[in-house]
Amino acid sequence: MRKAGVRGWLLHDVTHRGVTAWALSAVIFTFYVVLYFGGQYGVPDLFSPWAERLGLSSKWVLYGALYSLAIVLGGCWMLWKYRHNRYQVVRTTVVMVVQVTLGFSVPQMLKQAGQPEYYFSYLWPLKIDYFYPDSITSLPWPYVVYSVVGALVMVPVLGVFFGKRWYCSWVCGCGGLANTAGEPFRHLSSKSTTSWRFEKVAIHTVLIAALLATALAIGSALLPEESPIVAVAGQYREIYGLVVGAVLSGVIGVGLYPIGGTRIWCRNFCPMAAMLGLVQKIGRFRIRVKKDMCISCGLCSKYCEMGIDVRSYAQTNQSFTRASCVGCGMCAEVCPRGVLTLENVTRNDPQEAVRRGPGRASLPIIT
Amino acid sequence: MHIVIVGNGIAGITCALDARDRDASARITVVGGETEYFYSRTALMYAFMDKMNRRDLEPLERDVWRKRNIGLVTDWVVDHDADKRELKLAGGRTIAYDVLVLALGATANKPDWEGLTEVKHGVVNFVSMQDLDACEAMVPSAKRAVVVGGGLIGIELVECLVHHGIATTFLIREPYYWPAALSREESQMVIAHLREQGVEVVVEDSVQRVESSGGRFTAVVTSSGKRYAGDILGVCIGVRANLDRMKAWKSAPASRRGIVVDERFRTDIAGVFACGDCCEIARPTKGPLIETIWYSAKRHGAVVARNIFGDDVAYEPPVFFNSSKFFHIEFTTVGDVESAPAGTPTIFRHRAGQHVCQRIVHDGTRVIGFNMLGSRWDNEVLVRWVTERRSPAYVLRHLAEAQHDVEFGRMNLQHSTRSRSPS
Repeated sequence: MRKAGVRGWLLHDVTHRGVTAWALSAVIFTFYVVLYFGGQYGVPDLFSPWAERLGLSSKWVLYGALYSLAIVLGGCWMLWKYRHNRYQVVRTTVVMVVQVTLGFSVPQMLKQAGQPEYYFSYLWPLKIDYFYPDSITSLPWPYVVYSVVGALVMVPVLGVFFGKRWYCSWVCGCGGLANTAGEPFRHLSSKSTTSWRFEKVAIHTVLIAALLATALAIGSALLPEESPIVAVAGQYREIYGLVVGAVLSGVIGVGLYPIGGTRIWCRNFCPMAAMLGLVQKIGRFRIRVKKDMCISCGLCSKYCEMGIDVRSYAQTNQSFTRASCVGCGMCAEVCPRGVLTLENVTRNDPQEAVRRGPGRASLPIIT
Repeated sequence: MHIVIVGNGIAGITCALDARDRDASARITVVGGETEYFYSRTALMYAFMDKMNRRDLEPLERDVWRKRNIGLVTDWVVDHDADKRELKLAGGRTIAYDVLVLALGATANKPDWEGLTEVKHGVVNFVSMQDLDACEAMVPSAKRAVVVGGGLIGIELVECLVHHGIATTFLIREPYYWPAALSREESQMVIAHLREQGVEVVVEDSVQRVESSGGRFTAVVTSSGKRYAGDILGVCIGVRANLDRMKAWKSAPASRRGIVVDERFRTDIAGVFACGDCCEIARPTKGPLIETIWYSAKRHGAVVARNIFGDDVAYEPPVFFNSSKFFHIEFTTVGDVESAPAGTPTIFRHRAGQHVCQRIVHDGTRVIGFNMLGSRWDNEVLVRWVTERRSPAYVLRHLAEAQHDVEFGRMNLQHSTRSRSPS
């Protein structure tokens, strides 16, 4: 039950899809619509004048500053709240530092120094532009090497050794916002089998769409300009940027924080998460379950931002690796019996094997 | 074959699901009156503290029952006729069975304190969904509370009340908190932690009289003559097998402290099993056994399911282990710590200035149990050391292997003060 008083009501209302949560969602939604579509489709451009007044080069710099501020403030709160948990302290510190440096100030400083505004913390296929031929031809060669080697070698290799968490909950800005400012909403993700099914279809669809966008872009650079494929590729790239880059990651991804939890984008639509998830399934990362100690309380499932029903594994004594798990470590933190730990080990664990038959959900005990 | 299970707690539900795994065609019905769906009783406190919704307490998705073809009946059993093999429900319905499993669970002990019968409002237990409802109804108007009892449920209720800003007195009859499981040093650490959280802890005092005004609880007066006022009286003095409703049945199985069963969970009535918190297992060589732990109920249910289908499996309790959390102090216990006689040698390590300690109980040559507080431990490794009869020296050398803390957060086992003394 909620705590007494106005503060108790507000705290409960905003974190349990109450009126204030819907209002907050509408505000964030509007913010992103104005940010992405301001000046087009009849949407007023409210942010560019503000950026100008503050002496910033564009509204995107203003947005980057606000985004970093949200991560730093939310991060400080996280550090206080989980000060007893070293994993959370280390992880949150890293995510804050990466956002402030690689995610914001480094690209701005590069630009000041006459270099390209390059984000080292974003890689293909999340930052799909870095594989588009116009980026490859315009960027100085060290950046191109980093783009290619980073996306094709660094990301999967680190994924094999540490799971997707090295990126999704330690480096990435999307995950960074979710795990700091988004903390009050993490429990709202749906844990149903249906949403798991949707997630698998949606995220791999976006991954294929991203691969297709890259292939078309690279292909059209090799084809003569009058080829019909070039026109199609241009249109497709624009639609992909609009749907995935603006609507799914921003407007819906962040706009729905107070309603559907913090990782809607990461869980259902991020092509990078899809790829890292596939790597994770063959990699070393897993969540280990201590035998027979689970009391099925369900705090782990409740506070899983990716909507994994952790309890269904814990209560059946099953260590597991789920493709979607970003390794935030919160299931281990909230478990009152210390049942769960995150670890990197070479061991052959069942992958998504909790349901052996239709509706399989037993509570077996190894005897 | 129609298997009817009375009780939709963890024992009954495990039995139902395991029976279904075993036989796809048997008709299985679970009758339970407390809630419509199986829920995790251990999580009641998290619902009380707004960490979870009621629905989150259900460990299985609701369509599991349809998919697994297990019938659920939300009702109480009012009569049982063993000759007709038939149950009568409060709603008037009768259910015929071929095999009956009684997984009735436990209920809160009722004290006989003077003046308690006059109290109509303000007294709560904390073991059922109905108790949670009662607690939640009282919290908004309450300023002070008194919780009586020195066990796990008591400390859970105290934590919930403190969370809601209610000034709470925790009244413990014993000289220190939970002597059945903790040593004096360990308990003093827990009590110090409780006091840091603002709890008024009173030890070695018991309720003599309960005061009320107009049927509303106002205070308890203890044997030492002290008076503790409050709006809520939490009674958490242990649980007992839930046999009350059974007394009105035409054919009730024999019971002592629980329904008497053999090691195959058979009662004295043919075709009727009992398991979980409500049963007392009679064992030919050792004393009767009553287990009231989540995992033991699961094990009981699983063994019953096998015996129903003629596997003839005798129940063997594992090396004892359990874990808990006292506010923020995590607790893991393994082996025979509780019943170790006074003077049993122990190695006690305590980390100065922190609520962290480890106690290793041994008989001179081999380790027989562990009590670990303030950090996380892997019960599997500790149990293995007990069954492998490892020496204290071996265990101390390898202690770090049993740690189960979060990454980067492994508790430093160095710099602990160490004493080898009878505890």
